[in-house]
Amino acid sequence: MKGVEHIAGLKRIEAFSRDEMGMLCMDETRSVYPHQEVYGRYCTIEEYIDCPPEKVFEYLSDTRSLEEWTWSTRGFEATEDPDVYKGWDRLADDTPIFCKTISNRDAMTVDYHCAWDQGSHLWMIYLMRVVPAQLVFNKPGSVVLWSNCKHPFYENNPFPETASKERDTWVGDLWPFFRAGHVVEMINLKKILEHRHANEESLRPWIEDSKPNCSSAIAA
Amino acid sequence: MRPVSLKAIATAFPENVVNNDFFGEEGNRPQGGMFRGARERRHLAPGQTAVDLIAEASKDLAEQVGESEVRDVDIILTNVSIPDLPFTGCGAEVAKMIGANPTWVYDLHNHGCVSFISMVQLAQMLISTTSAKRALICNVQTAAGRIFRDEQVRKLPQAAVPGDGCGLALIEEGDYRPIEGITVKCFSDNASDMQIANSEGREWWEPGQEQFHIDFSRAKVARVVERGNQMVPQVVHEACQQAGITPDEIGTLITNQPNAIFLRNWRDALEVSSEQHVDTFEEHGNLFGAGIPVSLKRAMDEGVVNDSKYVVLGGFSHAGDYSAAAVIRWNKAA
Repeated sequence: MKGVEHIAGLKRIEAFSRDEMGMLCMDETRSVYPHQEVYGRYCTIEEYIDCPPEKVFEYLSDTRSLEEWTWSTRGFEATEDPDVYKGWDRLADDTPIFCKTISNRDAMTVDYHCAWDQGSHLWMIYLMRVVPAQLVFNKPGSVVLWSNCKHPFYENNPFPETASKERDTWVGDLWPFFRAGHVVEMINLKKILEHRHANEESLRPWIEDSKPNCSSAIAA
Repeated sequence: MRPVSLKAIATAFPENVVNNDFFGEEGNRPQGGMFRGARERRHLAPGQTAVDLIAEASKDLAEQVGESEVRDVDIILTNVSIPDLPFTGCGAEVAKMIGANPTWVYDLHNHGCVSFISMVQLAQMLISTTSAKRALICNVQTAAGRIFRDEQVRKLPQAAVPGDGCGLALIEEGDYRPIEGITVKCFSDNASDMQIANSEGREWWEPGQEQFHIDFSRAKVARVVERGNQMVPQVVHEACQQAGITPDEIGTLITNQPNAIFLRNWRDALEVSSEQHVDTFEEHGNLFGAGIPVSLKRAMDEGVVNDSKYVVLGGFSHAGDYSAAAVIRWNKAA
């Protein structure tokens, strides 16, 4: 079996010494980083939530929770495709948002596959992972990691015919504000879950008063 | 290029101070984001012209350096945001008013908030390539009183931001307070992103009832914030590199004054303290092209620049069509 020696450009201790690595790290460790460099292609945020990871996962993997913890997505209803729900993104006028939630209980990952205006190509993908805080912080609770990648469709809407003609906002124009917007939503998530957990309230109150018409599509 | 130095700087403002009450009742006042208002600003009075403000500032300039020095300019460069008249610029009127007989008079329309820097660059080019020795640079912002005090436009969040004022500078051949690096960049992709609009949908030269305003959709604001955050530190780095200094040698930072958020972000990015970064926004709002010379004058009056080895100017214009920066090796005694 071939090793990795023939692959150019690798920095491994056999050929890249402690001193060289030290120099590189000194050089690359800056006091400030441009926003564009940190959040230009990927937008990753993270937060500690004082609520058990199983509960955080259960809440996130139910699409209807989005109506509570996101700033602007509301009114999710089932569509013809049982896995895809249609709601409204009140960030802009007259803007439907489609969402398919794919979660994995073992890995505790919850991925929201979404798109504005049309539900046939779900390209806005919100990748979330719940980590037991016991493992990483040695204390109860959860750490939630949340990443988005800047899909090329954020630059230009490939389905302009599906958008309302009056709308002058495209979701991708707001990419520079994603970090700020997602932090707001992450804090909403934290406050809701910490409140319900601390007060022993029902985690998903809509389960009790309505049929679970919006439960998640769980794929193992 | 021949070395050129900043000889003197002077400012003038309309008398009319406008506070935030002008823009609506408490609770209904324009607020938020990019258009967060200043505490107060000046508005040009009806009938008052850019040349009036230049005349007033040139008296101050004459008191500093002597009338003959002001009169003896070879070059007059002006940038006025909303000009006194269509067709003609005001440079020839300025020449008449100060009694000068300049050979090179240019009224420049572009570069907006960084036009002071681009005019310094142009002055240096002219001084280096002609017999010219001294340039008078005039920046006048007139949009606040002319556009944003309109009864309808003043209700918009953007109306509280601009303020009127004027900054003049004398630039001359010499290396006693030299400009050691100037970078001006054009970003043509952003050229069409600042538009004007009114509800009548007319062109600005067509007759109609309603004043126009600047058309920034929320989505455009996100892009302009991103650009501004990125391009100003970048162009300052480039000018520093050209001058052979590192950004930690910036003694005083003078930027255009679009709003408090940009000012904070640029300070953070360049690791400059708020004491080293002049802020005239709160008192004058966004002075557009006049913001840089007015802030520089304040830095000199308040002694902010005294211990600086380098004073660095930087900014961007409109929705990001130009960025510019300059490094001045400071000499307090000059």
